[in-house]
Amino acid sequence: MLKVLYFGRLSDLAGRREEQFNLPERITTLSQLKMWLRKNRHLGEALDERYIKTMVNQKLVHEDLTLNGDEEIGFLPPVGGG
Amino acid sequence: MLEILDSSFDPGERLNSFSKTSGNAGGIASFIGRVRGERGDVSGLYLESYPGVTEKGIQSATDAAVKRWALVDVLVIHRIGTMSPGEPIVMVITAAEHRRAAFEACDFLMDYLKTDAMFWKKQTGADGEKWIEPRTEDYKDRERWT
Repeated sequence: MLKVLYFGRLSDLAGRREEQFNLPERITTLSQLKMWLRKNRHLGEALDERYIKTMVNQKLVHEDLTLNGDEEIGFLPPVGGG
Repeated sequence: MLEILDSSFDPGERLNSFSKTSGNAGGIASFIGRVRGERGDVSGLYLESYPGVTEKGIQSATDAAVKRWALVDVLVIHRIGTMSPGEPIVMVITAAEHRRAAFEACDFLMDYLKTDAMFWKKQTGADGEKWIEPRTEDYKDRERWT
């Protein structure tokens, strides 16, 4: 199962903070998954904004990659605590 | 040491116990960040983290500070969850042989926490809810250490 985590304002847009599901049919890459989420999770173009970072299995990724379907994927808007 | 807490903490108590255990450090610097009232416009603040990833990031910044300023001891406490104005969000305490190292390391760690630590903040106030992201000044502050 794929685990998808939405942080900050992305959780408001997606209407959830995390979810688990099987990789949808014909989706094999991260960029295809983003396209799928855009349509199916009301995320519009939010995930494509240049300052949204993506983590796969808790590591930052900067390029597209092939998904096995058991990854943890996090979408991260700009961070800041304190 | 790093603690991410989902309930309130007492900074005075923490400073007190830190000083007792920080051995022969000649100087201890501390910073407490609190929820601002913003002229009464803010009624609450909510913070979330990425469990595991957030800790790892802060730990490597702390390790870098210990190395760069030869710290004797360091403590970072950061809140997540819901907070009210006046409540502490963050506390950084650094102990070093001399004051300059303690001050600078504390300042460095706060800049890291403001712009690079994996937290997301949502403010609730008169205008409803809004997610807060770092200001340009915060990024400029961070640049001082590169």
